[in-house]
Amino acid sequence: MRRRVALAGAGLVAALALVTFPIWSSEWESSRYATTVLRDMLVLGILALSLDLLVGTTGLPSLGHAAFFGAGAYAAAIAAQRLANDNLLIGLLVAMVVAASLALVIGIFAVRAAGIFFLMLTLAFAQMVFALAFQAVDLTGGSNGFAGVQRPRLFGLDFSAPDALFELVAVTFVLVVLLLWRVRTSTYGRALVGIRENERRMRALGYDTTRLKLSAFVLAGAVAGIGGALSGWSLRFVSTNDVGIGRSVEAFVSVLIGGSGTLLGPAIGATVVLFIERVLSSSIPFAETVLGVLFIVFVTAARQGIVGLLATAYSRVRR
Amino acid sequence: MTPEVAVQQALNGISFGALLFILAAGLSLIFGMMDVVNLAHGAFYMLGAYVALAVVQRTGQFWLALIVAPLAVGALGLVLEPLLLRRLRGRHLDQVLLTIGLSLVIVDVIGLVAGREIRSLPFPAGLDRSVPVLGGDYPVYRLFVIGFGILLAALFSYVHRRSQLGALIRAGVDDAPMLAALGVDIDRVFAATFGVGAALAAIAGVVAAPVFGVFPGMDVDALIYSLIVVVVGGLGTLSGAMAGGMLVGPADTFGKVLFPQFALALIFAIVAFVLLLRPTGLLGRVRITR
Repeated sequence: MRRRVALAGAGLVAALALVTFPIWSSEWESSRYATTVLRDMLVLGILALSLDLLVGTTGLPSLGHAAFFGAGAYAAAIAAQRLANDNLLIGLLVAMVVAASLALVIGIFAVRAAGIFFLMLTLAFAQMVFALAFQAVDLTGGSNGFAGVQRPRLFGLDFSAPDALFELVAVTFVLVVLLLWRVRTSTYGRALVGIRENERRMRALGYDTTRLKLSAFVLAGAVAGIGGALSGWSLRFVSTNDVGIGRSVEAFVSVLIGGSGTLLGPAIGATVVLFIERVLSSSIPFAETVLGVLFIVFVTAARQGIVGLLATAYSRVRR
Repeated sequence: MTPEVAVQQALNGISFGALLFILAAGLSLIFGMMDVVNLAHGAFYMLGAYVALAVVQRTGQFWLALIVAPLAVGALGLVLEPLLLRRLRGRHLDQVLLTIGLSLVIVDVIGLVAGREIRSLPFPAGLDRSVPVLGGDYPVYRLFVIGFGILLAALFSYVHRRSQLGALIRAGVDDAPMLAALGVDIDRVFAATFGVGAALAAIAGVVAAPVFGVFPGMDVDALIYSLIVVVVGGLGTLSGAMAGGMLVGPADTFGKVLFPQFALALIFAIVAFVLLLRPTGLLGRVRITR
């Protein structure tokens, strides 16, 4: 009991520290830059967290998760433009619905496969979404991308200033963490873990595992769509990169480096990935190689990821 | 669509299909033997094209490039398998993930060494002309691709069915642990398989380069098409790669000509349809979906 209170307290402090980052970092020389990088880390973190509901919790290794991220990003941006409405809730709702519907269509086929085959199918289907975004120039801007995304408002709150937008991203991130924690600890979440551990037994116990997997796929897609909408608002730009295999790989690498099946591991992985791609890449030309090698090292030698390594180290110290 | 255009597009489709066959054969071979879907297959394809570019720039010899590139890329595969994949043997999903990392590194190193501009590889001398085919002009090189594909298919079929090596491959695809138990050095077989699979990707990269160009991102295109081909045709069999290539190549080509807006939907529909009706793909030996 005391441990749970302590954990909840620590979580609350961490969440508050995160949300108030622009305020307490304002003394720093590079506060603006740091806020921008942290914001993008949180956006990638949302994508990685939603992916881990599939990879870590359910045991479905999706390599096409950016399809739903990109779909959400385009949907929010296009809706704001076509409806001439910058309401935050409408943007989020459209992003979620479009991403979830797409996940439903792809998921119906993809969840029939398992393991390596699931990975192949999600990759192939997501690449078709990429090509679709590339071709639908009237809607998406094609290879030029969708520039000048309108940042949202809500009840007089204007999220167009950088700090306000950071707050929006940070609060959403915290809410997504809470949501996924709630899902994972629910009976539904336990059933998903059951599928990961032994799908055949779950079927024998009477669970409709196909439907459960599909629902997880759609839920993860919807959350990824929210991440996409935030990405579009952050950068004021959506491009085919946001639906491409590169983004999917980024998310997958984040999950594995951070630690799949852990609550915050994927988000920690996302900070590492974005640090390498954003900060390190400005000083060395081969940042992507560093990322690839790091990923190979984690897959071969530390499959449990950063959080797993820390947990092992902590339990050794305690003993 | 006039008859002349239809014939031209049919030839385009078949030559694309022949290319897809060469590409997918390597992926399918590695999967059949090792149960690993090599996601660095596109990177090997790209590396083959860039090695060919370097050879042609220095010597002007396309045919030399067609020999050097697969040898170089095959050697890389031969080294990478024992160095990395062997550590994860039995953990198939992790081996697949490992190849994602490989692909990131290979593509980035190519970009560092060769630059990130779009390049082109000239057609080999003698094949840069067009010949009249049924009232229209048709590029000879694409006919060469068709012939080359048929030649490789015949060669593979012969090796597969008649040779000692083919017997080894068939046994390994059927039951690799049993093959090892019978005293075959399975480590060497796996390393060789990965090397040959990589070399096949490189051959496809060289053959495709004069038609499609050499550019960053070509790895992803190749990987996706080869995955679609093996899913449609069936994983782990040579005939599956042939059937997949011959279905996807023409379907893609005609789809893009007849209804450009929906060409992708057509491929999506084919993949979905095949998976619903035949969970193993057309001629495969493992179930992709339940």
